[in-house]
Amino acid sequence: MSNPEAERALLERKMRKALQVLILQRGRNPGVKGWEMKRYLGKDYRTILQVLSGDLKQLGLEVHEVPGLEGTDDSTRFLLRFRESPTLSEAESAGFRIDDLAVLASSIATVNSKQGRVGRKELETFLREKFPRWRVDYSLERFIKRGYLDQDEKGLLRIGWRTRAEVDEKSLMTLILARGEAAP
Amino acid sequence: MLKKHLPEWKLIDVMLKDSEALQQLVAIVKLQDQWVKHRASSLYIDPLLLELKIRLLTREDLADSLVKCWHPVAQLDQLTARGLERAFTYWRDLVPLSERFKQEFGNYATSPGQLDFEELQSLNIFSKEEFETRLNAIHDELVQRTSNGGELDYRRFIGAPTFEETAVRAYLVAFVVTEGRASIRVDPLTEEIFLSPVSGPAGSETKSVAIEIT
Repeated sequence: MSNPEAERALLERKMRKALQVLILQRGRNPGVKGWEMKRYLGKDYRTILQVLSGDLKQLGLEVHEVPGLEGTDDSTRFLLRFRESPTLSEAESAGFRIDDLAVLASSIATVNSKQGRVGRKELETFLREKFPRWRVDYSLERFIKRGYLDQDEKGLLRIGWRTRAEVDEKSLMTLILARGEAAP
Repeated sequence: MLKKHLPEWKLIDVMLKDSEALQQLVAIVKLQDQWVKHRASSLYIDPLLLELKIRLLTREDLADSLVKCWHPVAQLDQLTARGLERAFTYWRDLVPLSERFKQEFGNYATSPGQLDFEELQSLNIFSKEEFETRLNAIHDELVQRTSNGGELDYRRFIGAPTFEETAVRAYLVAFVVTEGRASIRVDPLTEEIFLSPVSGPAGSETKSVAIEIT
């Protein structure tokens, strides 16, 4: 017969382990893949992560999962992220200028509207109608390096892994459209 | 069985072309499937409509839209064994500054040196005939501008619209002075430099003066 206290202690120990592996960056990109979680926490890792995510609510954090390219549990990436969105001034204090954020918003929306990929030159030409040339070049390069956008060898831009992890793309498209309707 | 009868097939080329055409059709159907799926998804917005919206919105509106849907990843950056190894490899293989851009920009680390007349000739900056002609021309100009027997301000005399031409005139004047056809006087109080032509034979007392050109 199982001891409830021992089970609780085991669960707490696994939750601590889960938080530890989520918060410490191991590879180049943050987050831990499903197969790694299974190795650290056992087969019921999803349950442990759900409980952890609930507990982290008080701290304004959550465990978020990003589906992998293969669409399997093993390839799914789990990471820790802010539950609430920051304010514009908080984003600025984190090193993002309003122009940078506007370039990123426009880029994500444009890529999504063009079936998930757009030529870099085409995007640059469009963005330069609204932003200075140097700002477009600098921001795009920066967002590619940070994983918000992904560029292949043919010069096509796609949505990067960090955008998938951090940005609610559907809401972004809706907000841009809604603001457009409200504009005079 | 197919392998056995394939050589007997008389219309093999036709069959190959049919297969190729079928493959192309499959590719088109696949692309159409992707297009339909995307249009049916909630992410689909007419690209032209979206471009118009983005043009209409202010930068603040666009930035605010993004921030409202943004949940930054919380992570702790730390030094890993792999990172340390990469840093070591980078540092070990880092080419010194003096070598790094040598191919693109030349050997800029070399300190300034001197070019003699032979080197200038080899660089096609001067030919011997042209040099003599220009030397005489600048001497004649000096004589002409000091026809009343006075002196000329050195910097005014060598001054030209471009720095390159100024440097060439200074170079030529240096030769004229070295040949004893002109003399340079430096006022010890004002440090002004004066230039005057020498009509007679050069004196035996000579000294070298370094003049900076800016």
